[in-house]
Amino acid sequence: MSMQQQRIEEYLRQVRSRLRGLREEEVVEIIAELRSHIVERATPAGDSTVDGVSAALGALGDPEDLAREYVKDEVLARVETSRSPLRLLDSLFGWATVSAAGFLVLMVTLSGYLLGAVFVLVALLKPFHPATAGLWVLRDSAADLELSVRLGFGTAPSSGHELFGWWIVPLGLLVGCGLIVLMTRLALWCVSIYRRARPLRGRL
Amino acid sequence: MEEGDKQSLGDKWEVQLRKGCLELAILAALWERRLYGLEILRLIESDSELIISEGTIYPLLARLKAIGFVESEWVESNSGHPRKYYALTAAGRHRALEMAAMWERFSSSMGRVLAPLKGIQQ
Repeated sequence: MSMQQQRIEEYLRQVRSRLRGLREEEVVEIIAELRSHIVERATPAGDSTVDGVSAALGALGDPEDLAREYVKDEVLARVETSRSPLRLLDSLFGWATVSAAGFLVLMVTLSGYLLGAVFVLVALLKPFHPATAGLWVLRDSAADLELSVRLGFGTAPSSGHELFGWWIVPLGLLVGCGLIVLMTRLALWCVSIYRRARPLRGRL
Repeated sequence: MEEGDKQSLGDKWEVQLRKGCLELAILAALWERRLYGLEILRLIESDSELIISEGTIYPLLARLKAIGFVESEWVESNSGHPRKYYALTAAGRHRALEMAAMWERFSSSMGRVLAPLKGIQQ
């Protein structure tokens, strides 16, 4: 391998090592495209020259800046194009590995989904465990009110009373599904805000 | 505000303006035929004042592809290494027309707003 090739491979290695959160086949594709660009840009007349390689790498910019543009753009694009909650969560995991904002959005979305799923579960379990499944208000020893959503297992809490009764079935389904839809929209909204507000890196 | 801050705000505006236009410039460059990255760069550089860093175009192309505005294909070349060609999809054509119309409206209203500044050199 010539000196010039070594410099190109070293640059690509630096980009590659920073392409976290992307799928392997995307990384392979990105590196192949950049290699093709550098080689052609550096060799207008056949052999790559020292000046040609320097100019090509210089024009591409800092490997870290370049990798960051890819990661943010690809990961965010994947989040934005996800429509089902499962695919959204999958792509949010990708975003969370490269950005604190992504991690926060993932945590909030995940919590919302879990709460939504609990509401749906309670509604579905009510017909099978009418005495215990439901939304219960529990009074603790300090006489403060505590709200508790109980699933249909075990015995009914002794010191509480149930809210809604059989209304929990339509209410649970409505609130649960509503929460999931709401969290999906919220996450997508966060991504679009983030994408517009994030500071632009690199020179144009 | 410090003089340096003013300068950097001005630069940021210019960067954002160029970056915002780049997406439309890429879609327009691909209007007539498929091109690979370096060709797109050369076309945009020779045709306009959009001096773009070469590093900016590839992540943007990847994003346009992820959204579905362009599709790509590897093609072997005579020079010995494969090139990744990009072509507009139907959605990309639609988007390009939409953005071009938006650009026309926007630039004509900016033209009216900027009329008092015409002819004054800095």
